[in-house]
This record gives sequence, C-alpha cells and structure tokens, in this order.
Amino acid sequence: MAEMRYRLENCFAAVFPTLSEQEIAQADHLNVGQWDSVASVTLFATIEEEFGIEFSLDEMPKLVSFSKILDYLETNVVT
Amino acid sequence: MPMKLIDALKIVDEGANRDLRAVRVGLICGFAPTHFQTFLGAHFCRAFKGQRAQIESGLYGDLWGNLARLETAKTDAAIVAAEWADFDGRLGLRGLGSWAPTALPDILESVRSRTQKFLAAVQSISTEIPVAVSLPTLPVPPVSFVPTWQGNACTLELRSLMASLACELVRLKNAKLVDTQRLDCLSPLRERFDPKTEMLAGLPYRLPHASILAELLVRLIAPAPAKKGVITDLDDTLWSGILGEVGLQGINWALEHKSHMHGAYQRFLHALAETGVLVGVASKNDPNLVREALSRDDLILPGRSLFPVEASWGPKSAAVARILRTWNIAADAVIFIDDSPMEIAEVQAHFPEIEAILFPKNDYQALNDLFYRLRDLCGKTAVSKEDTLRAQSIRRAQDAVPINSGQSVDEFLEQAEAHFEHDFSKDQSDDRAFELLNKTNQFNLNGIRLTEPSWNKFLKEPDTFLLATTYRDKYGPLGKIAVLAGRIKDNVLTVENWVMSCRAFSRRVEHHCLHAVMKRFNPERIVLHFEPTPRNGPVGDFLSDMLGERPAAQCEITQKKALEFLEKRMPATAELTHG
Repeated sequence: MAEMRYRLENCFAAVFPTLSEQEIAQADHLNVGQWDSVASVTLFATIEEEFGIEFSLDEMPKLVSFSKILDYLETNVVT
Repeated sequence: MPMKLIDALKIVDEGANRDLRAVRVGLICGFAPTHFQTFLGAHFCRAFKGQRAQIESGLYGDLWGNLARLETAKTDAAIVAAEWADFDGRLGLRGLGSWAPTALPDILESVRSRTQKFLAAVQSISTEIPVAVSLPTLPVPPVSFVPTWQGNACTLELRSLMASLACELVRLKNAKLVDTQRLDCLSPLRERFDPKTEMLAGLPYRLPHASILAELLVRLIAPAPAKKGVITDLDDTLWSGILGEVGLQGINWALEHKSHMHGAYQRFLHALAETGVLVGVASKNDPNLVREALSRDDLILPGRSLFPVEASWGPKSAAVARILRTWNIAADAVIFIDDSPMEIAEVQAHFPEIEAILFPKNDYQALNDLFYRLRDLCGKTAVSKEDTLRAQSIRRAQDAVPINSGQSVDEFLEQAEAHFEHDFSKDQSDDRAFELLNKTNQFNLNGIRLTEPSWNKFLKEPDTFLLATTYRDKYGPLGKIAVLAGRIKDNVLTVENWVMSCRAFSRRVEHHCLHAVMKRFNPERIVLHFEPTPRNGPVGDFLSDMLGERPAAQCEITQKKALEFLEKRMPATAELTHG
C-alpha cells in the first residue's frame, strides 16, 4: 500500500509540479488551482499508464482528490 | 521504447525550471494537443541540449485556421500533425457526417481539394521557417461499405491522395516528413488510436503512439549529427573466410557459397561511400595479401572506395587511432564494425565514444536490421558536392601534405596553386554552411551548435554577415570548407561562429578567411567569441599565434595587428570574392 501511495504521489508531482508532498496528500480539485479539465485528462492518463488500468466513465467524476483516487486504486488494483 | 507520460512531464518541468533558452515551436493540429504537446516538449529537451522548446498550439478542431494563423516571425519552427478528420470531418469519430455510399464521392472530393490547400500552406510556412509534417497516422475509419479485409476504391483513393501529397511535401526545401514505413515499425497501426479519449476529449492518440510520433517529428527538426566514417573489418565481415588461411580465391561473398550476406554488406558500404561517408579498414592480416584481395575486380565494394586500409598484426585500437588521424575526425563521428566481440571490446575500451557494432555473421535478420541502423546513423537529407569530394581529398592530402614531403607549409603553399573563393551572400538555402557549423569540432571557435531556425533567423538580421569559403589547389578541389559568421556594428566586427573543415588544415585557409572579412568590412577592431572546448585546440592555437597570448573568451585584436599577422603568413594566391 505504501508503494502504491508513493507511485500515486509521483503521478501528482508530475502533473502538479509546484505542490509539496504535504499538499499532494491533501490535493483536491477544489483546493488545487491548476486542477482544471485539462489537468484532469493528464492526471488520469498518467495514473492509467502508471498502474496499467483504465478508469470507467462512471468513476472518473468521483475521483476528485488524492485520497479518493488512492482509495480507488487500493480497492481495484491488484499489486 | 516509447517515453512514459510521467517521465515526459518531469523532463518538461525540469527544462522549464532551468532557465534554458527557449526555441519557439508552433504545433499545428486539429486535435487536442495535450499529451502530444507534452511529449514534443520532452523530446525537444532531449534533442536540444542547453535549450528547451516552448510549444504553442492553436485552436482545437481548426487545423486550417491554425495553419493560417501561425506567426512565422515569432516562431522558430513548425510541427504540423494532420489526421484524416482534418481533411474531412466525416473521417473522424467525433464528426457525425454521413458514411452512406452516396457520401463517399463527396468525401474524396473534399480530401482531394484539401490536400492542395495543405500543400500550399506548408509551402508558404516553409519559406520562412523549417516545418516537420506528419500525414494521417491513424487507420482510415470504415467509411466504405466493403468488408475491411477487402481492398476498396474509397480507402485506396484516400491513401493515394496522401501518397501524392507526401511526394510533393518532400520536394519542399524546408519541409520534412515523417516516414510512414518507419512509423509502422515503431508504432503498430492497431495500437495507435484511442477511441475513448478521442470521443471524450478530442485526443485521438494512445500514449505510446503520441510519444513515438512526437519523437520522430522532433528528429526532423533537430536531427542528431550523422556519422562521418565507418571502419570495417575484412575477414568474416567484408567477405566470408579468413584471407590468411583460405587465400585470395578462397574468400567469397556470393550466393553460391552461401556468403551472400557479405556481398550485401559490401553493397551497403559502397552506397554509404558514394554519399560521402568515409570507409576505412582495420584488419589483422598480412598487408600484402590484403592489397591483392582488395584489387579483386569482383568486389561489390571496390577497393578504391576504402581508405585508409590498416592491415597489420597490431591491436585494432592502434589501427583505429591511425585511421582517425588520417581522417582527422573524432571517434564519436565513427562506426567500427567487426565480427569479433573481443576486437569490439578492445576498440571500445580505447574509444568509448565510438559506435562499435558486432557484425552479425550468419544472422540474416540482424544483418537486415544493421542496414537500417547504419542508414539512421549515417543518413543525410541531401548529398552535396563536398560529400563526393571528401574521400578523394583525404586520399590526396596523404600524398600532398608537407609532413609527408618534408616541405614546410610555406613551401607547400607556394607550389600548390591555391585558389580561394569567398562568398558573402547570406544564402539561407546553403545547406553546406549550416552543415559545417554543426559538425565541425576542431577548428570551431566555440563549439556552439545552431538549430536551423536560429541560423535562418541570424541570417535575416541586417547587421549580420556570412562568409563561406571554397578552396581548390593543383591537387584537386576541397569544396566549401570554411564558414565565418558574425556582425558588423559601429566599426567593430564580431565573429560569433567560425568553423573550418579538418580537411583544410595546413593551407592557411583560416588566415585567408579572416583577411577576406577585414578587406570587405574594414573594421577598427575584431572581437572573437572564443570558447575553449575539449576539441577545439587548433582554433586556440591559431588565436594564440595571432594574439601573442592564450586567447580569452571574447578576445579582440585591432585591424592593424591582425593584418600584420595575416599578411606575413599568406603567400600570394588567387582569390575571388562575391556575394
């Protein structure tokens, strides 16, 4: 689980390079200014590539924060 | 392996934070550029060392408007990535125009007319800045009513229109096109298109395809320097058999001996030699036997195409060192090919920069792959007059240079009947000047490499000048062998770039070049943007000689002092100045 968290932090750091480690852990589309629709596309593509998954259309609108995405990965990705 | 998006994002971010000089690149496409733009940025960062690309894209869904709006004056280069939907919206998944059989003729007609419009637009941009183009890389959608395993007129006609457009594009001086065959090898057709991201976000490329296509487009704008020479082994490489064991008639390279792969290798080296790539031999062999073998008139690669031929029983690295000295080029510009892993390791240990390749004896697939690899390493866009002169002039230099004849440089020059032609026209179409600037190492004022966009921009500036010098003497022509470029302002002549081919050493060409610019511009002072590099000792020595001390960066000299120095060392020669 720690490794999964670390890999997700890396994805966030690549898409939002100005965020600190602490800010990444608390990142939410409402508190990160750069998290617009284009950043969402890039973030989901980066995570899909990193974890070899494909988000479904139903799930994507709910995945609006670091913690929600981490929960999703912990539930759905076999490590 | 394609680059991962996460790595591309990091590379782009690092480039942005390092305060590197930005090369401005206009990305023209009709799809959402998102990841593709990131990959372009990352590949540019890798290709342009010390610079980063600032990639500016246009409006979504408007390739034609983006082509028209590109401001070439504010852009260094353009990348145009066109897809089927740009030629007709019905050829994309997002457009919902009819695929009914009755609509097909109209689709074809619209694509036909747009290919002409596309050609005109790229032609117009390419007169100002370099352009890299990719024509539709995605599969043609199943618009035709014919089963997809069966060839159909509509799809064939569409491909034919693109093939015709491609032929026209590659004829443009300043436009380069991604090769579809190479792209097919690197990015399988069925793994390119992402219908989900296309429909949801207007982004048609899967990530690996976006990365590969971006890399190829960047290579068109910022190509790696081509290798200048190939050093080949003989036994079981250029031919089958060990010459010392089987004798002159025992070596072979033909189908009947099942040694045709060596004949194919000879044919390839011959083709390379004909494009100006130097081909030399490093062989552990009896030199007399080798001489006889290379005079066999049934060799596919004629013996006269090989120079120098180093046949001895000494280490291969020593032979390679002698060849490099004769060619006067650095190891990183050379490929070494041998069938022995031990020899490869020995040469590589002495010359880590050399591209050492094991000859794939009896491995036909690997041989075929080797041909593609060599083409990529040595490939060039055009074969110049200088390319055809290179091998001959090096061979002649061996006979003519003073060190071999016991003559001093002055004595040699007095009888050489040297003739200089100084051309001051700022000719943007002069590929040779740009090529020399970017591949010369030893006589290079500062080692600065230029991109084609920045070079073209430099030439357009009103206070700049360019001198390209061509040399010949009674031993033959050397072609265009020196380029000096800079600015003249307030009676001060600043030399920003100055390179001279190593083939022109010991002919005082550098003296003549500097003298020619002084005669033309009559400056009070000359400032030289000198920067020592690991390899530009010869230019440092020349400047030390002229200044009477080791040159500093931005060294300068008065006209009087420079002329005194130059005229003492320049024997009377024929000179022609124009432009």
